[in-house]
Amino acid sequence: MPSENVLEVIQAGLLTPLPRSPSFLLGVTGHRGQVIPVMDILRFLGKGEARVGSRTRLFLGTSGSYTVGVVADAVLGLRRLPVADILPPPVGGDAAVEHLLGICEGASPQDALALLNFPKLLQSARQRAVVR
Amino acid sequence: MSLDPKNEIVPAEAPRGAKKVPAPLKPIADTVLAVLAGNLGARVPNDALDDSVADVGQLINQLLERHASAEHRKQVAAHEIDQAIDALSSLVREGDLSQWNTTTEDPQLVPLLEGFGKVIETQRTFVREMNEAVLRLSSSANQVLAASTQHETSSTEQAAAIHETTATMEELKHASAQIAENAGSVARVAEETLGAARAGRGAIGEFIQAMQQIRSDGVAVADSITKLSKRVERIGTVVEVIDEIADRSDLLALNAALEGSRAGEAGKGFSIVAAEMRRLAENVMESTKEIKNLITEIREATAAAGTAADASKSATESGEKLGAVAAQAVEGILAGVQETSDAARVINLATQQQRTATEQVVASMAEIEDVTRQTTQASKQSTGAAAELSQLAGRLAELNKRFKAD
Repeated sequence: MPSENVLEVIQAGLLTPLPRSPSFLLGVTGHRGQVIPVMDILRFLGKGEARVGSRTRLFLGTSGSYTVGVVADAVLGLRRLPVADILPPPVGGDAAVEHLLGICEGASPQDALALLNFPKLLQSARQRAVVR
Repeated sequence: MSLDPKNEIVPAEAPRGAKKVPAPLKPIADTVLAVLAGNLGARVPNDALDDSVADVGQLINQLLERHASAEHRKQVAAHEIDQAIDALSSLVREGDLSQWNTTTEDPQLVPLLEGFGKVIETQRTFVREMNEAVLRLSSSANQVLAASTQHETSSTEQAAAIHETTATMEELKHASAQIAENAGSVARVAEETLGAARAGRGAIGEFIQAMQQIRSDGVAVADSITKLSKRVERIGTVVEVIDEIADRSDLLALNAALEGSRAGEAGKGFSIVAAEMRRLAENVMESTKEIKNLITEIREATAAAGTAADASKSATESGEKLGAVAAQAVEGILAGVQETSDAARVINLATQQQRTATEQVVASMAEIEDVTRQTTQASKQSTGAAAELSQLAGRLAELNKRFKAD
């Protein structure tokens, strides 16, 4: 995630499920007086589902006037990346690829990063929620 | 026919007398001479005599008649006497008493022959009775012989039996001595067993005490383990709190780093410090994780120790029970061994008495054997005597058979 899209990392608190909402929308949670929807990217991209426990992290992603909590398996940390290292996403592939900003190769295959295009992700999520 | 020479009439004086005889008397003399010569039937012929001597002839004839009849009687008597003598001699020679039936016509001989007959009759009765007696004697002697033989046989058998009995009694004596010895060693072994069983009883008592000690120690160990696991739980709680704090510190440091990055170049140092803080929190979390692992291991170990303590407790309990059972068994063994020891002692005593009694019996048997040997000897002699008696009876019967009574 580009850090301009991340407001804060918080602990997943009590999630209140919403009726008649898409499956990737896990519910809403309260944070500093704000009601924030929480979504599961894995379900959204059709790559399984996230498990939510007491230690599970949420990052508050923002795009425009919207703020959304996203369930993260783990928060590894902050990394500074030169723009020159960012490569375009691979051509073709599944729905996940169109929500990528690019990829960045690291020293080893494990260090390779996929950069999420959060505004686009949020937009398509909103679209899918409305379509329903 | 043999006549006494004194009675023989010898006509020796006839020629002398004949020379003196006158002629008229010549026929008389001739007749007398013929009679004297043996012709008893010769008579004086009446016609040859003179009247003067006819009477004399008559008288002579009468005299001659008488002489002839006397001679005849004498001859008959001699004949009968001969017969009687013959019968007697044959009686003596052959012993046949049954043939005596001599009769006589001579009244003078009748008493003699009757006397002989009576004597022979008495003899016959005597022989008959003797025959009977000899028969009885023979059968009695045979019976005596048979009885004596049987007695001898039986007394020999008795001697053999007594000998065997004596040998058996000797064996019995040896056997009873052996039994006494064995019973003595049984008593000794029983005494040893008694001592060993007493030692075993003491050892079992100590074993039970040790088991009780182990059980109380095990209870103390279980208590300690429970306390330890409680402490470990508390450590776990504390570690959980530390972990929570470290997690929050991590979050805070992450957000601080985010804020620093948003501040641009000015927040760079802040970001670095935040990253350090985050690393610190991560270190703490790693440490707590290790501590948690350790606590888990300790919990497992204490659980295993608790299980082991429980098992040890039940094992010691069963050990105590087994010890009690063993103690009971040893008590039973003690009682049994005591009885065995007593019984062996009694057997020892009884066999010693038996040995003494057997020795007495052996001595008595030896005496009996001696007596039996004498009896056998006596019965042998008696058998010999009876055999001799039987032989004698046979001989007597043989002798008596010479006399035929019937």
